[in-house]
Amino acid sequence: MANRTAIIASNGSMFDAYKVFNIATAAASADYEVTIFFTFEGLNLIHKEAHKNLPMPAGKEHFAEGFQKANVPSIEELAQMAVEMGVKIIACQMTMDVMNLKKEDFIDGIDVGGAMMFLDFAKDANMTLTF
Amino acid sequence: MNSTQVLDTKGLSCPMPIVKTKKAMDTLNSGDILEILATDKGAVNDLAAWSKSSGHELLDHKEEDGVFKFWIKKG
Repeated sequence: MANRTAIIASNGSMFDAYKVFNIATAAASADYEVTIFFTFEGLNLIHKEAHKNLPMPAGKEHFAEGFQKANVPSIEELAQMAVEMGVKIIACQMTMDVMNLKKEDFIDGIDVGGAMMFLDFAKDANMTLTF
Repeated sequence: MNSTQVLDTKGLSCPMPIVKTKKAMDTLNSGDILEILATDKGAVNDLAAWSKSSGHELLDHKEEDGVFKFWIKKG
């Protein structure tokens, strides 16, 4: 059976975004099946506007220069790449209701679902990661 | 070595060398050899792990003037 990576993304800073999308795209590159469940602040990472300008964690703003020097791709590019590579993205319906967000507020190619939709994938995953 | 295709990922950082290698490899046939150029130091271990994980064979790799070169045979 193919390797399966189940990821929960529940934090919303730029650092969190790189952790999630780097692991996800690397796994997809090795033909792992990947599903990411975005919940609470994690929804920022796939929000059409917010994900273009994610905050650095407090006190870490000086790393902005390092990101430029290392020539890392933007989160916008990484998120799009993840979708193109077949990474399945689930936005948490409950958090969306609480925050008054609609499916159209997010990048294209995502699914909206609840905890069970993620768990159904994660139960057969050989890696489950939380960020 | 006789490469079927050369992929230049110089200047790119993780995960781009792996992502681009995957995309290039998808266009090749079994037995073809992909040559990859990279400056990302992490690519040395990453491409070895990727080859193993994806069923390809890392034939050789070396460093020349700060550029890492890899030859991977498609499985």
